[in-house]
Order: sequence, then structure tokens, then C-alpha cells
Amino acid sequence: MADNGLSSSQQVNNVLIQPSNLECKNLYDYLTTRPQNVLERLYNHPTICLAVYRELPELARQYVIRILFVEQPVPQAVVASWGHQAFSKEHVYVSKVLSNLFVWQEASIPGGLPGWILSTTFKRNLKIALLGGGKPWSMSSALDPDNKARDITFLDAYSAERWECVLHYMVGSQQQEGISADAVRILLHAGLMKRDEDDGSPVITRQGFQFLLLDRQAQVWHFVLQYLDTVEQRGLDLAECLTFLFQLSFSTLGKDYSTEGMNQRLLVFLQHLREFGLVYQRKRKAGRFYPTRLALNITSSQSKGVHVLEDVPKGYIVVETNYRVYAYTDSNLQVALLGLFTDLLYRFPNVVVGILTRDSIRQALRGGITAEQIIGYLTQHAHSQMLQNESNHALPPTVVDQIKLWELERNRLVYSDGVLYSQFLSQADFNVLREYAQSSGYLIWSNKEKRTMVVNKSGHDDVKKFWKRYSKGN
Amino acid sequence: MSLELETTKSEDFVSTDEISLLVIILDTNPGQRLLRENPQTLTQCVDSIIAFGNSHLMQKSQNKLAIMACHSKTSEFIYPGASKTLDIRQIDGQYEVFTLVERTIKTNLHKIIATENTILSNESLLAGALSMALCYIHRIQRNKPPGCKLNSRILVVTGSGDSAFQYMSYMNVFFTAQKQNVVIDVCALDQHLSLLQQGCDITNGLYLKIPQLQGLLQYLLWVFLPEPPIRPKLVLPPPVKVDYRAACFCHREMVDIGYVCSVCLSIFCKFSPICTTCHTVFKMPGPLAVKSKKKKMKL
Amino acid sequence: MVDEEDAKEYRWETGYEKTWEAIKEDDEGFLEASVTDIIQRAKRKRQAQKLPNTKLGMMRHLYLLLDCSDSMSNQDLKPTRLYCTLKLLELFIEEFFDQNPISQLGVIIMQNKRADKISELTGNPRKHIKAITTLNRTSLIGEPSLQNGLNVALKSLKLLPSHASREVLVIIGSLTTCDPTDINTTIDALKVEGVRCSIIGLAAEVHICKQLAAETNGTYSVILDDSHYKDLLFQHIEPPPAAVCLDSSLIKMGFPHQMVTEGTDEPLTMCMCHVDSVEEGSKLTTGGYYCPQCCSKYCELPVECRVCGLTLVSAPHLARSYHHLFPAPSFKETDYNNQSLICYSCQKSFTDLDKHVYQCPKCERTFCIDCDIFIHDVLHTCPGCATNPAILQSNSD
Repeated sequence: MADNGLSSSQQVNNVLIQPSNLECKNLYDYLTTRPQNVLERLYNHPTICLAVYRELPELARQYVIRILFVEQPVPQAVVASWGHQAFSKEHVYVSKVLSNLFVWQEASIPGGLPGWILSTTFKRNLKIALLGGGKPWSMSSALDPDNKARDITFLDAYSAERWECVLHYMVGSQQQEGISADAVRILLHAGLMKRDEDDGSPVITRQGFQFLLLDRQAQVWHFVLQYLDTVEQRGLDLAECLTFLFQLSFSTLGKDYSTEGMNQRLLVFLQHLREFGLVYQRKRKAGRFYPTRLALNITSSQSKGVHVLEDVPKGYIVVETNYRVYAYTDSNLQVALLGLFTDLLYRFPNVVVGILTRDSIRQALRGGITAEQIIGYLTQHAHSQMLQNESNHALPPTVVDQIKLWELERNRLVYSDGVLYSQFLSQADFNVLREYAQSSGYLIWSNKEKRTMVVNKSGHDDVKKFWKRYSKGN
Repeated sequence: MSLELETTKSEDFVSTDEISLLVIILDTNPGQRLLRENPQTLTQCVDSIIAFGNSHLMQKSQNKLAIMACHSKTSEFIYPGASKTLDIRQIDGQYEVFTLVERTIKTNLHKIIATENTILSNESLLAGALSMALCYIHRIQRNKPPGCKLNSRILVVTGSGDSAFQYMSYMNVFFTAQKQNVVIDVCALDQHLSLLQQGCDITNGLYLKIPQLQGLLQYLLWVFLPEPPIRPKLVLPPPVKVDYRAACFCHREMVDIGYVCSVCLSIFCKFSPICTTCHTVFKMPGPLAVKSKKKKMKL
Repeated sequence: MVDEEDAKEYRWETGYEKTWEAIKEDDEGFLEASVTDIIQRAKRKRQAQKLPNTKLGMMRHLYLLLDCSDSMSNQDLKPTRLYCTLKLLELFIEEFFDQNPISQLGVIIMQNKRADKISELTGNPRKHIKAITTLNRTSLIGEPSLQNGLNVALKSLKLLPSHASREVLVIIGSLTTCDPTDINTTIDALKVEGVRCSIIGLAAEVHICKQLAAETNGTYSVILDDSHYKDLLFQHIEPPPAAVCLDSSLIKMGFPHQMVTEGTDEPLTMCMCHVDSVEEGSKLTTGGYYCPQCCSKYCELPVECRVCGLTLVSAPHLARSYHHLFPAPSFKETDYNNQSLICYSCQKSFTDLDKHVYQCPKCERTFCIDCDIFIHDVLHTCPGCATNPAILQSNSD
């Protein structure tokens, strides 16, 4: 480079660009990171096939169901013709998803046309889930009626209490009992808490705060994923645990299931789930357990804004257009969370009044919470009265916009990686290179007088090549 | 880089995350030609409907399903059904909710068929069943928690015909469905159904007369499983041109040019001095020429 | 409105509707149940008022007489009287044509002592809505003239055939009218022609309006607030009882169908509706509706054939109006004592909370209150009767 009289310097400011945010994976993201043989093994269980099927994009589900009963490979052109021309991009995307998950594979058809065929394991087990056959799931052995059967209200209260215990621990409410060292280890592993430098006691991290603002389902899913990461260290089998988890998620609320036939490892797993409130067991050796709402539909956390038709936990927050926030709650946890981004004004036995101000929001933003998360939290817990007013906006649009503006205020600088080109020998050289960079869309900034320009990182190689060619030609 | 591209793409294609309620009306009237000739057909239809209903439930965890049987004298909900839910333990690898659907339907259907004394009429009272389905949908919509969106549709699977004597009920049902944004899909097993076809057209539903009964499940899955919001993305049977001619009240025949009572809007194919529906006496029409002209037209 | 003649006290002295007395707390001290009860009762009352088998004026010709005078800029309705009125009228027009598809509507505005027809009597809702939305920009000046407005409406209603129902709906915000001559002569003329005049007042009761309504068999009401306004306006969507002098006759109508022969493409043709319109121009298209008498093509129904004058409708257009004529039978309210475990139509299981259930007099099925309202307000078919072959058979005979 130097021989051309051109020097380039790189700026790396990755650290500055993105505050490390909480990364939420959905089932698809999780599974695509697993190797094929693991997936194949997972597909041996109808429950997992069912869960995977439900997580597929809508179009993909239609494709799968259409070829579920077809034994031969189907020509790719035929599959493509099912979708409308205008949506061909979506078709390509969907086909990719299906291939990534090894739900279908390429196969050639007699005659040499490329075709798709469903993975035989997946097909067989999805059919079993849909139509029957095969072995019963592990927890479905017959049980005598429970003489102390638990109803749904009890289970809800139980699971809420257990789960809030974990959250309470995170915000450092002094309630230390009821949480095991194991759970703490998972929180640390997930990066939701970290050891304090001084006394080694766990304190909540930025991601931890973001975690708290997620809705309950997403929290559980995120937590479980982190748990699964450590599962093999505990000597548990990942496939076994996943299968059991999905069996739970497909079980019926308020019904008891048997632990009969479960091996030792699964029983350990069950005890862990019990600790977080995903299942209820009267005694460790009770022989039966009740799944709670936390365990149900564990994967459907990604579908935002969808409420289950059945009674969902009631929202308690009212936001007015004058930025006042009223929260009908007496839970310290909920008040503490609200306090993250509101100025609390009054507190009564059953209601807290606060106000959203620029300072309070900015304080939260500085703490690493995003505007999207604040809005998400307020929407998630909006009082049913708020939902009735306007069917599409739970929150007053002015407030939503203002919160976003307050966030944008902080992001007046946009960082992008770039390479600086300077010390051009002639204005003509500079002009030619700038022209080229601009026309290919690499140019970030240029200054004619100083003969300097910045191109983005991905364009650097290309521009360099062009420069070499150009200077040789001269 | 490619990974980045993918994530942005998936944002674009987020499928409609709305809950969907499907009410299936299965015509089980033993008087219809298909069942008279071969009663076994019913079993096949019921099996297909169960598999189809379960496929609907399989799409999303929150999807709702209701199935009605339209019998010769009554129409009843056979799923979820009035009686309390059966206690089901898994016997095989089938998802227990699906097993529950299958058992409930079979038990309830069995009850209906057992109580039926056989007076065969070859026309099923589908309009009545549809109106019940609309009330049911209305209740579910009313009771849903605020802020949640629920798409509802009705699928009619029938082998019997439709005649004009339910015309008014049909029309009331269709317009109500249109107002409530309920899509009516029709799967005709045997005869062509011109009235129900109008209903599909009015409510933007799909109408399909299946060429052969053998592949019923496959037809259902292909055509009727996709929800209305994603139908534009798929290539489905094109809408058929619907005949919107009226049937006259006197002979129930299709007419091109008719006479309409200004008071009650009854349609007649010929001029008559008194309206048979509302008993209004009419003023005599103008010049005779109109009448003769009309006769010419009819020829 | 209480009639002056039979009222013994002034309006402000009459037994005020003591709504609070009807409200009772339930066991837990909540009012909600009681309030919903009142609302539902009101809904049912409106149902009960509908009498079956009354002769209705189905082919309606309605002129909307809209006050656009200075008084409409008043801000007692938000944001202004005019703006609120226009928004409601948009809804009204759509609903009007939805429920009365073979009827016609026209709009006249009264402004600065003059009356201008801003849209002619037609059956095309889009035209009216377009005309109405342009009113946003009119300057509201002067006083209205009720007489001039009525005269303009009368002039065109007079020409209609004798079987048509003639109506005028006046929306007036002003408390005065500035007329050229004696308005009573106009009222007499309206009476002779059988034009039914209804008035919705936005301010207060005015004697001349009341007299006009009383003389012509119309209704006169004054709004309380915007939701009451909407209620009053929407009451005019139901076809009114036919006027006495209304002749009945059989009207010849065409039911066009699309020209399709299996397997062949339709020929490209021009439609008659756009053939001489300057704005859009006629295009060659394939689909369309063909007049069964003269085979001219139209792209929309209902329409009057420009060539042979035949009214072209499709069967559903007529069917949309049938429910006015053949309403579902009124249900009987009975106390709940385990007649039935579930509501016949919606499958809701009755609990002790359901104090009343509703029974169809014909099929004797039991329904819950929500279904009762839904069936009579929207569906217009009793599901019990419609699933009972015997009753259906007897109905159709």
C-alpha cells in the first residue's frame, strides 16, 4: 500500500458499538446450532417433532403437512409452484429453514430432477404425534385418582411463587431462602448475575435487568436454555431432558402425571424443574407430579402479543398520556422493576403511582435497558382497561414515541467500521477512487480538500483491488 | 454476513401470530345419497375430519377447534361437547390432546346416531348448524381477553344438496358471517351447492367440490388447512364465478327478470294481483305491452 | 320527547329518569352487574318494539337535510358539531346501504338562507361519502332556511313513483330558521305528498321542528351527547312503517348473471356505467353484469339500466332486506330454574349467575341473554327453528 502513497488504517470499535444485550434465542436458533446427528436423535421423539413443527414458519408448516403422506421425493419445482409468484422470496427462506433443521433433505428423483423428501425419522414421528401409534410418552402411565388433587388456581399460585423467588433473588431482595446453589450457578452461568468483585456475592448484571423485563414465558425459556447448556456437565442426557421438557409443555394443566418408568437422571431433572416451579410435586417421592403454566407451551414465548385464550395473569399497569404510571400491585418485585425507569411518586397498599420522565428513562437507558424493552414491559403488563380502549395500541402512542425519542437522543452518533484512505498523490486519483467507492456503495465519508476518504470495511478489499488495477493501468 | 441476512429476513416473514378458531360442520345426515348408498363412508369422513381437526390444532398451540354434527333432525356440538371432558391417558405416542379430540368426537357422534330414529330426509339443515356456529363464535369472541386477536372460520363438509327452502336462513347467516369477519369454507362431497357457494363468495371463503371421496383428507389439508391470512401466498383453487340469480317465491325457479313486491320484496316470476307473501293488493301495471314483451323474453 | 298536550308537568318537572335508583350493588358491592343488566334491558326493549308483519316502506328515498350554518361550528360536540356530524354520517351512509340496498339517498345542505343539493338521489354510497367529506372545507355562515331545504327535497321526491317511500331526515344545529314565506304551507305540501320528515336537533327542542315531525309522521329528537346522537341517527337505518298513501305494486327487476360459458374466456367489452364519465373513462374488461333485457354491461350492482331502464339487482341485495320483514320471533324471558344446562346455540353452560333465560316461542329452545341479543340484532334467524325440520317446513309453506 505504502508504495502507492496510500495508507489505510482500521478502526475497531466494536466495544463501543453494541452494549452487550441479552440474547434471546428461539427454538429454531437453538436447534440450528446443534449438529445433524443430535437433531436426528431428537427427531426420534414425537414430542420434539411436534414442537419443531409448531416453531416452523407458517408456509413451511403447510409444505410439511402437504408432503407428510407422500412417500417419494417431491420435485423442488412442484413445491415452489405451491407458493404464489409474488412471495417467492419467502419460499426460498422457508425452504432454507426446513433444510437447516434437516426436516427435509434434497433427494434426486428418477429423471434427474432435484426434489425434497422429509426426513424419515421426522416424518414417522410427526405422524405418530398426529395420528397415533408408537410408544406412549414416558410420563403417561396410569394413575389412581389423587385424593389430594390440586386445582389450577393452586398450581398458578405455586408456580408464580416459585418463579418470583428466583427473580426476587436476582434483584437482591433480601429473601435468600428457597433458592438453591444450583439455581445460583445457572444464573451466574447465564450472565444474568455476576460475582461481586469485593465480597464475591452474586449481583445482578445489565443482562439480568433486561431479563427481568421479559415476559414470564420468555424468561422461563431463556432460563431453561441456559440450564440445558449445563445439563451435560451434570451427567444428564440432553436429548432425554429436551424430550421430557417438551412432553411437559404438551401436557394438560391441572392433570397429574406419573413418574413411573422415569430413570434416575430424569428424576433429578424433575427435581430441578420443581425448584423453579415448572412442576408441582407434593413430596419428592410422590410418584406423581403436576405441570404448571410455566412449563406449558414453553416454546411459544417468541410469539409476541399473543395471549393464551384462557385466563392469563392480569395486567396491572395503567399509563396515561400525561406520562403518569399507575401500577395496581403490592409486590415489591414489580415495584422495583417499575422503579427502574419511572420516578415513583406515591405508594399505597395496593397501588403505586409514578411518572415517566426524561431523566428516569435516560437513567434506565444508561443502565443498558433499551426503549424497546421498557415499552415491551409496559405493554406486557398493561391493565385490561388499557387494552379495551384502543384495540391496536395498549399504550398511548405519544408516550411510546417519546420513550423512543429519548433513546434516539442518546444515539446521535452512529459507529461503523471503516478503512481510511489518505495521502493520494493527485486529485485525479482521489476522484477516480472516490467515484468507484461511491458507485459501489462503499463510501462512508470523503473530503476533497484533504484528499481523504473512508470506505466501509466490507468494501475495503474490493476498493483495494480496484486501486491496484487502476494504478497498474496508469 | 449471510447469517445477518437471514435474521433480517426472518423478521420480514414473521407469520401472523394470531389465534385461529375453526368450527367444522360435518353433515352426518343419513339421508344424504353418499351415506344411503354406502354407510361406511361416514367412518371414512369422520376419520378424515378428526385428522384434519388435529392438524389444525397442531399448527399453533393456541388454535381452537369445535366440531358440529349436522344430523337429520338436530345439530350438535360433538367437540368440545357439553358433557365434561373425558379423562384420557395416553395409550400410544399420539399427543394426548389429539387423542382427546378423537375420543370425544367418536363418543358424542355415537350418541347422536344411537338416539336418531330414522326419518330420512335428503336435505340437511346446514343453515341452522351455521347459525349455531356463529353464535358459538360470537361467544368465544366476546369472552376472549381484551387485546387478543382471534380469527374465526367455519368449514362445512357435506354430501347433501342445498335447496331454496332454507334460502332466508342461509342469507342471514352469510351476511352475519360477513359482518363478523367469519370466513365460510365449503367442501362439497357429492353435489354442487350453489347457495353455499354464494356464502363462500360473500365471506371470501373457498369452495371446493372434491372429485373423489378417496382423497378427502388430502384435499382438506391442501385447500382448507391454510388460514385465510396466508391464503394469498399459496396457489389455491381460483374462486368460481357465482350465479347470483334469484329464485322466485312461487315456483322456486331461477329467474332472469322477475317482479318484486314493493312491500315485502318477494320475487315472482309472473305478475299476480296479490302478493302471496304479505297479501298486499297491487295496483294493476301500466300498459299491456310490458306483459307481452316479457313473454317474448321468456321464449 | 314528551308531548305538550298529554304532559301534566313541564319537561324539567317530569319524573326524571332516576337511573341511579335502578342500580343496586351486588353481594360484593360491585355495580357492574347491575349496569350491564340495564344496558341489556334497554337493548331488549328496542327489540320488543319491533312489531312483525307491519308494512314497511322498503324502497326508501331519503334526503338528508344538513344544517351547515354558523351554529354548526359550535364546539359542544367534539371537535365541532359539523365535524362530529360528518364522521357519523359516513358510518350512517355505509350502514344505510348495507341494510337497505335498493334504496336511494341524497344530500342537501342549508347554509346562509339557501339550500344546495350536494348529491343527487342515487344508490351509490361512495358518491355520497365523497360529497360529505368535501363539506369539511365549507365555511359555515349565516342562518339555515328549513323551508328552502324542504322545498328542494320535495321538488325531487314528488317525481318518484307511487310505491316509493319518501323520507327527509333533517339534522339541524340552529335554533332558528330564516324562511322566505310561511313554512306551514310547505309542511302541508309535504303531508299531501306523504313525505315523512324526521328531525334530529343538536341544540334544543324547537316548536316548528316538532310540529313538522308530528304532521308528517316523522320523529323528532334532540341529542344529549355524541353517543346518543349516534343512536338516534342509526335508528333511521331501520325502514320506517309505510305511509298510508303508499301504493304497493310489483316492480319489474332484472337479475343479471355473469356471462360465463365453461372453458371459454369472456369477451372484452365496455361497461355502460363508465362509458361517458370523464374522470375514469371506460375500459375494456372481461367480467361484469349483463342486463337480461338488453344485454348492456355494468360493473356494479344495484344499478338502473341506462338503456332499457330496468332495475338490476342481485338476489343477495334483496335478501339483505328480508330480515326487516321476517324477523326472528321475540323470545320469552323466563326465570332460570334448570330448564336446560346449556344455551342451545352458543353452548355456554348456565350458572346461578344467569337469572333469566330466553325461550323461543316456536322451537322452545333455551338461549342465554347474549345469544338473544345477537340473534335479534345481527343474525335474525333463530338457530333452534333453523335446525328443526318441522318448523322450517311449516315456515316455508
